[in-house]
Amino acid sequence: MAPWDTDAVRTVDTRARLWICPFCLSRNQLPQHYKDITQDNIPPELHPSSTTIEYKLSRPAPAPPIFVYVVDTCQEEDSLNALKVSLVTSLSLLPPNALVGLITFGTMAQVHELGYTECAKSYVFRGSKDYPAKQVQEMLGLSPSAGMRPNMPSQPGRPPTMGPAARFLLPVQQCEFQLTNALEQLQKDPWPVANDKRSIRCTGVALSVAIGLLETSFQNAGGRIMLFAGGPATEGPGQVVGPELREPIRSHHDIDRDNIKYYKKALKFYDNLAKRTAHNGHIVDIFAGCLDQVGLLEMKGLPNSTGGHMILTDSFTSSQFKQSFVRVFDKDGEDNLLMGFNASLEVLATKELKVTGLIGHAISLNKKSPLVGDTECGIGNTCSWKMCGIDPTASYGIYFEIANQGGPAQHQQGPQKGMIQFLTYYQHSSGQFHLRVTTAARNLSGPAGDPAIAQSFDQEAAAVLMSRIAVFKAEVDDGPDVLRWVDRMLIRLCARFAEYRKDDPSSFRLEKNFTLYPQFMFHLRRSHFLQVFNSSPDETAFYRHVLNHEYVGDSLVMIQPTLDSYTFDQEGSVPVLLDSASIQPTHILLLDTFFQILIFHGETMAQWRKAGYQEQEDYANFKTLLEQPKEDARDLVQDRFPLPRFIICDAGGSQARFLLSKLNPSTTHTTNAYGGAPSAQTIFTDDVSLQSFMDHLMKLAIYSTL
Amino acid sequence: THGMGAMTMTNQAPPGHPQMQGRMAMNQLYPTDILNTPLNVSELDLPPPPIILPPNSSVTPSPDANCPSKYVRSTLNCVPTTYNLLKKSRLPFALVIQPYSSLHDHEDPVPVVPDQVIARCRRCRSYINPFATFLDQGHRWRCNMCNLTNEVPQAFDWDAAAQKQQDRWSRPELNHSVVEFVAPQEYMVRPPQPLVYLFLFDVSYAAVTNGLLATAARCILESLDRIPNADRRTRLGFLAVDSSLHYFSIPQDGSENTEASMMVVSDLDEPFLPTPQDLLVTLTECRQNIEAFLAKLQDMFGATQNGGSCMGAALRAGHKLISPVGGKLTVLSASLPNVGVGKLDMREDKKLLGTTKESSLLQTQSSFYKSFAVECSKNQVSIDMFLFSSSYQDVASLSNLPRYTGGQTYFYPGWNAARGEDAIKFAREFSDYLSAEIGLEAVLRVRATTGLRMSTFYGNFFNRSSDLCAFPAFPRDQGYVVEVAIDETLTKGIVCLQSAVLHTTCNGERRIRVMTLALPTTQNMADVYASADQAAVATTFSHKAVERALGSGLEAARDALQTKLVELLQTYRKELAGGNMGAAGLQFPANLRCLPVLFLGLRKNIALRQSAQIPSDMRSAALCQLSTLPLPLLIQYVYPRLYSLHDVVPPDDDERNPQNLGLVDEETGETVMPQALNLSSQSLLPYGLYLIDDGQTQFLWVGREAVDPLIRDVFDVPDRNHLKVGKMTLPVVDTDINERVRAIVEKSRDHRSKGVGSIVVPHLYLVREDGEPGMRLWAQSMFVEDRADQGLSLQQWLGTMREKVRLDLVTYDTKDRFS
Ligand SMILES: [Zn+2]
Ligand SMILES: [Zn+2]
Repeated sequence: MAPWDTDAVRTVDTRARLWICPFCLSRNQLPQHYKDITQDNIPPELHPSSTTIEYKLSRPAPAPPIFVYVVDTCQEEDSLNALKVSLVTSLSLLPPNALVGLITFGTMAQVHELGYTECAKSYVFRGSKDYPAKQVQEMLGLSPSAGMRPNMPSQPGRPPTMGPAARFLLPVQQCEFQLTNALEQLQKDPWPVANDKRSIRCTGVALSVAIGLLETSFQNAGGRIMLFAGGPATEGPGQVVGPELREPIRSHHDIDRDNIKYYKKALKFYDNLAKRTAHNGHIVDIFAGCLDQVGLLEMKGLPNSTGGHMILTDSFTSSQFKQSFVRVFDKDGEDNLLMGFNASLEVLATKELKVTGLIGHAISLNKKSPLVGDTECGIGNTCSWKMCGIDPTASYGIYFEIANQGGPAQHQQGPQKGMIQFLTYYQHSSGQFHLRVTTAARNLSGPAGDPAIAQSFDQEAAAVLMSRIAVFKAEVDDGPDVLRWVDRMLIRLCARFAEYRKDDPSSFRLEKNFTLYPQFMFHLRRSHFLQVFNSSPDETAFYRHVLNHEYVGDSLVMIQPTLDSYTFDQEGSVPVLLDSASIQPTHILLLDTFFQILIFHGETMAQWRKAGYQEQEDYANFKTLLEQPKEDARDLVQDRFPLPRFIICDAGGSQARFLLSKLNPSTTHTTNAYGGAPSAQTIFTDDVSLQSFMDHLMKLAIYSTL
Repeated sequence: THGMGAMTMTNQAPPGHPQMQGRMAMNQLYPTDILNTPLNVSELDLPPPPIILPPNSSVTPSPDANCPSKYVRSTLNCVPTTYNLLKKSRLPFALVIQPYSSLHDHEDPVPVVPDQVIARCRRCRSYINPFATFLDQGHRWRCNMCNLTNEVPQAFDWDAAAQKQQDRWSRPELNHSVVEFVAPQEYMVRPPQPLVYLFLFDVSYAAVTNGLLATAARCILESLDRIPNADRRTRLGFLAVDSSLHYFSIPQDGSENTEASMMVVSDLDEPFLPTPQDLLVTLTECRQNIEAFLAKLQDMFGATQNGGSCMGAALRAGHKLISPVGGKLTVLSASLPNVGVGKLDMREDKKLLGTTKESSLLQTQSSFYKSFAVECSKNQVSIDMFLFSSSYQDVASLSNLPRYTGGQTYFYPGWNAARGEDAIKFAREFSDYLSAEIGLEAVLRVRATTGLRMSTFYGNFFNRSSDLCAFPAFPRDQGYVVEVAIDETLTKGIVCLQSAVLHTTCNGERRIRVMTLALPTTQNMADVYASADQAAVATTFSHKAVERALGSGLEAARDALQTKLVELLQTYRKELAGGNMGAAGLQFPANLRCLPVLFLGLRKNIALRQSAQIPSDMRSAALCQLSTLPLPLLIQYVYPRLYSLHDVVPPDDDERNPQNLGLVDEETGETVMPQALNLSSQSLLPYGLYLIDDGQTQFLWVGREAVDPLIRDVFDVPDRNHLKVGKMTLPVVDTDINERVRAIVEKSRDHRSKGVGSIVVPHLYLVREDGEPGMRLWAQSMFVEDRADQGLSLQQWLGTMREKVRLDLVTYDTKDRFS
């Protein structure tokens, strides 16, 4: 039976023991356990405030959650040691029945047989070879092969088959000692590396083996493959750069010019792996701890389509890594991990609506229904998606269109409502399946258009949803095309909803709930989501990955960072414009781009600090002022995942570029062109300022023939 | 100074030329009637006919100037001067070379030339030896091989250690035909390699359950002190093999981690090493951790269900691991390789046995084994196979690996550690194996007087070029045969044949063991026959028969032996006995009279016997024996020893019999052995107790009427019905006879007194004449002189020979008449 929503209350006939499904209008018998239902005594799911209901289902998870650590050993000792500590610590964060496995890799990939207690034992795979799934399983002895004795009588006291569960993936409570030992004894990859060479690193083989390991016996049992990469793959399938150091790792320019040997092959390799992993219902997380790139660009399909994490840090010694990693294992009040596995999301809607797609970390389940729209936005042509991994902050953009056929239903009274219901099944980490049902109802406008539509516009949600589309397009289209598309959509929106007099740009006005939207789009155009050339391809992959995961508020911070200013004679911080004009010598700025938290000392502030005034008693207020943004920054990162990079910089310092790149260039070197050196706050950019952007927008909206 | 100038040349004369000196006394031809004079077994132990050189042939009067027969034996101790004479004699001219007569140097030391002054001929590269001559007041020497005059090296008379002049005549290489030179730098392509053993353990279900893994591991563990390691560089590695490869990385003693870790590689396509370090570790540095590892090895695989063996891939992996250094791959396997490269099929079919198709089972099944072995030889990798399967293991294919790499195949059919005898035999042999002081990166070359050429080489090695045999490791328990061709007429009274083994000792020293044999020449067929060495001839034909069997089949090999014997008998009759056969007899020289029975023994040996009952693995293993055993062991293998034991304690009143059989002779310090008996059931008394010993297996034969007191005194059971047939260990009983029997059984196994190195500890089987027939038939198959299903008795054999010799002669005469 379909669950029903708050709006259905009216459709329940408590006397006749009937209810009418608002989606398909069919009459249904009330189930037996609702026999005592009355208008005053309604079950929680019929309560008007319960737009979201979570059902605990009796269906148990096929297996406890699985965690496979895939650890790069081509690392300097300090980094490897730090990683080892983090990994050992994480064992205590896992539920005791969670199954764990360990794969290490460098020149070769090694699967550690944790169930073997006589000595440390691992299965070694050549790093240069692309092992088909079947072969991986044979080589691990997980499938019957030539070597096994046929018709072996099972020996008393021993399990008849030594399945993978008993050998490579064991309950953490059972193998903690063995695994801790294995982790502690991890050594840097022993193969020699010449001075002019990179380490030989077979990330691709390691991932493929990990995926193959879970594929055999744990299809559709929730599990995470957690990759800890200390550098790029330099060997075998999935190689992203050659071992010669003089050969640099690819940049956006290289990709643009299509002159890299490995890119397409690697992309294809990882995308295939991603497809398999997602099909199997497993998650791939990538933790990068490297100053250089590790190949996230090529590997991004894995976390993107499996709902895995992507964490990009400079080193495993950084607190950015350590704290973010620990956060993965956050638990709820009942000590259950805040993560769900093997989820599927299905959309139901009344017939006025058609679903055109989803943008987020999911794959299509290819479920066709009359509800599926003709156009496609993101992952479309389905009304159901699979998310191998979900977590409480995961969010998905789901796009709809209005069905062409049919006017409002005749038999209904009052304002026409479009209703949408989201059914999310997932394996809760408590070991049972849950079903979460969210129902939303919105008024439908009449055929002639309705001012209520404009009034109900949520510019923040719209900005975030548009960003996802833009990023989705950017993955396949050329950058300039995407920008033109963003502009075109903005102009179209303004042309439709702004008020202006014909041919008079100065008369251009937007309603209150539209005013921020153009700014969001302005900053989106300038953001590293779409302007990739100042980032490495790995960073771009990382930023985009996170954007596709976070909910509206955080996404907005990513699109248009917040800037706060601190100075004397002012209580706390004051939000200021994300504008170069906000840079003042006697102010401290706190920038939050979501990925970075940056404290910027104006010129005078910096001089004073360098002179050490804060150490003097007379300048206690200066000391307090210096501390304030730090405290606020700490508050900001409290719930942030992944932990942002923390930067403290001074006017004129090299790190200040992180701030300058985010500011509206109201004062650029072109505006300042009349001689004299550019001042500190002058931004070297050819970007248009927000003001000229708005000017153009107004003109185009007004003269638009769109 | 009184150096060269003061040296006198009076103690030598130029070697004589036969024409100049007139005819010397040579070995006399003693014709015997081999048909009517029974064979006396002790003749098999007679030394070869003496080598009679002209006086003053050697540069020093040393008694050791010529090569002792324990190192090199020639089939002919008098060499025909022409190819035609040799051809006419029908005798082979070959050397049987056994460079080592024990497993350890101290048991058989040879003189060492330590000063790295090595005088060699510029032209033929021969080493100076007691048969060289000095000229020009000792400043130059003439090569006794090619006659070239060479400078004597500067430091030849200088004692570098004492920093003073030394007496040239004291130099070992001028006094001893067998010496070892310490080689200088230029004899090394690289610094001397350390001794390396990589053990390839079969860890499949078969090898774990029959106790091979546990026994082998424990044996290595207990033998670590015996493995040669004087230079503390010896390295060990371990690889476990089932359907995957299991590598072990063993940390150094004293490092943080003391536990070996196992790395499993199932990707068998191309061998690769899972880690670059700690797979091959220095025994001295990792001793404790190696011990801990070996103690644990059995437990590591105790639960295995794996029935696979990827031994081919394992060998390639092992090769990859040790080939940068070179060394031994020691394979311990109880399985037929059934996975990956070198995979072998169970091809034995009982229906084929005894048919002409049987021979194909003796040939190698997969070309991998030969080509890989050749690859190993190039990289100084030698392979020894210890084979333990209870079912078909394809010894024929596997034995290629030792054959071309200077290794050996050791075969333990149906072995099971649960049987104490099996466990003890293997443990003792394996321990001795590990203790042997093998040579490394070795080559054998034989040089000879101009006119002679080494034409064919037999034995386990790779014949790298026309006259160079390569041995990645040079074993101490094998013999080799080199056939010599006479290309030019020999003009001198003596010829010399110099065998040199360049090798690295397991102490990291580069050395050359040189053995120089001088032989007189003759133009006279009688001299050739009178000086022929029957044991060497039999050994040569043992190798040739093996080659024939592998190439053309068992029947061809047996036929060839018969044909050759007929040829020899016929040649002798025609050329030396004036066409006479003796009334009803068959004439042959006394020094060759064992040859017919040795040939018969060869034909009846398990390797070549006509039979439909011999599993091909047994045959193949025996073929390996026939082509590698050192001469004394080979002769015993072909004609086993039979000793009567029930009468070793003589009755008090018996004065005719020796009193001390089975006791230690005070003079020699050796156990006194009974007279060996003819291998004929006629030698057996029904109440007797006998030892039959072919060097590989011993049988205690209990006659069907053996009396209770004898059984009680020897075996400590009430009567012979209490005796369990099969493998056994003699109990220690406090009786005179028990002590003597045990001493005789033990002495019969004593390799040292036979002048050979060997690790073999024969199994002792108890056989009752009235007991289990299978066992009895097996023991009876040792009775070479008896008739047995398709095998002729000695008497029949000789009768057939006589017939053939007679018939062939008629033909010959007819032909002669018409020509
Ligand atoms: Zn419905
Ligand atoms: Zn010469």
